[in-house]
Amino acid sequence: MNDLCADIGYRSINHVGEQLCGDHVDVVEQGENSMVIVLADGLGSGVKASILSTLTSKIISTMMAEGLGLEDCVSTIAATLPVCSVRGVAYSTFSILHLIDNEIAEIIQYDNPMAILIRNEVNYDYPKTEMTIGGKKIYKSVIKLQEGDIFILMSDGCPHAGIGTAYNFGWKREDIITYMEAQAPAGYTAKTLSTILVDECDRLYDHKPGDDTTACVVRIRKRVPMNLLFGPPSNRDDNDRMMSLFFSKEGKHIVCGGTTSTIAAKYLHKPLKTTLKFEASDVPPIAEIEGVDLVTEGVITVNKVLEYAQDYLQDNESYEQWAFKNDGASQISRLLFEEATDINFYVGRAINPAHQNPDLPITFSIKMNLVKDLSECLKKMGKRIKVSYF
Amino acid sequence: MKVTVCIGSSCHIKGSRQVVEQLQNLIAEHDLKDKVELGGTFCMGKCQQGVCVMADDQFFSVTPESTKEFFEENILKKL
Repeated sequence: MNDLCADIGYRSINHVGEQLCGDHVDVVEQGENSMVIVLADGLGSGVKASILSTLTSKIISTMMAEGLGLEDCVSTIAATLPVCSVRGVAYSTFSILHLIDNEIAEIIQYDNPMAILIRNEVNYDYPKTEMTIGGKKIYKSVIKLQEGDIFILMSDGCPHAGIGTAYNFGWKREDIITYMEAQAPAGYTAKTLSTILVDECDRLYDHKPGDDTTACVVRIRKRVPMNLLFGPPSNRDDNDRMMSLFFSKEGKHIVCGGTTSTIAAKYLHKPLKTTLKFEASDVPPIAEIEGVDLVTEGVITVNKVLEYAQDYLQDNESYEQWAFKNDGASQISRLLFEEATDINFYVGRAINPAHQNPDLPITFSIKMNLVKDLSECLKKMGKRIKVSYF
Repeated sequence: MKVTVCIGSSCHIKGSRQVVEQLQNLIAEHDLKDKVELGGTFCMGKCQQGVCVMADDQFFSVTPESTKEFFEENILKKL
């Protein structure tokens, strides 16, 4: 065991005019520290490709995660995929990244562009073994993981970007490597890296992609715990118990909520300093308590964080907002989405009598749902979440 | 004089931001920066009556519309 973990992010753009993507990424966890990530690219584009790639990635990831051998997976796919009536073949290319105990990466590749590994900010040319399974030529590599490793799995839409327009032969793998090496030192998340790569492809395609284009980035990083306190406990007598549990945890501490931060300040015997700096119009200003990394208002701020989280999982368009602004919601977003890997929520179930007013759009159930929805989103980002109620 | 405006959730929704901005402008207009200290605070526990404002030790319920009146009645006159 070590303290490494994987940060996984992917993004796709569709063939121009198509509503469905013919590429599919599937991530299946295998116990605590192992996982299988599959990027499949179905033959053609549109519905047919989408079905082929979804089946392929789902079958491989599920079977591998259950411990079945590669041969079984490949032969199952060959036997089950529907045969294309136009071309007479059942075909979907795939790349598999199998992380074992967060120590070893097994890369298995069939006909997709070779996965890129950036180690210590430069391209690392990992060894590959060629093998034949069911008549398919498959490359397998086994690599010991290091902190900071960045794996980039791609569909062929990436190296084909710009064919005939920007470049004669598309965006060559070497050039993609150079481009991504330049992004490596900035410490972007996997999602951001995949967005950067796919956006560049989209630009090279002149926003009319000639093929479905997908990049899946897996970044190996150290685990970073983070703690977030939200709401006072339902029973006043639990204040001290909740605070001592919260503040005894390793990692940064975020306190959300007016009353909550007053309780935290009292517990720490430090003054609560509020500011009047309105950074973003829809989120109240932040405050400061010595010993707490970030103090913000509650529901409105957390609601904004949830909006950012939902967007992050889809189009990642509000990145430019939360990545640079200094309001409470943006700061929480950066801490939770980018920095943290393990997040402990300490949620107080006290009902704020002032919020039970029909004029106000914040009710108790909204608050509880916020926590539920936000932790769902964070789980989808690959974070480990623990929620404790008081 | 110390004037504190609540910037908690309820008061925020009721327009504490506008109240703060108006007060900031009014204080600048009347050149009272040395005499009036404007600050923020989290919930005062009187959310029903928001936007909650304390002027020294006195509590006021202010809305964005009544901010100017509040300023003239309770800040300007008492200085």
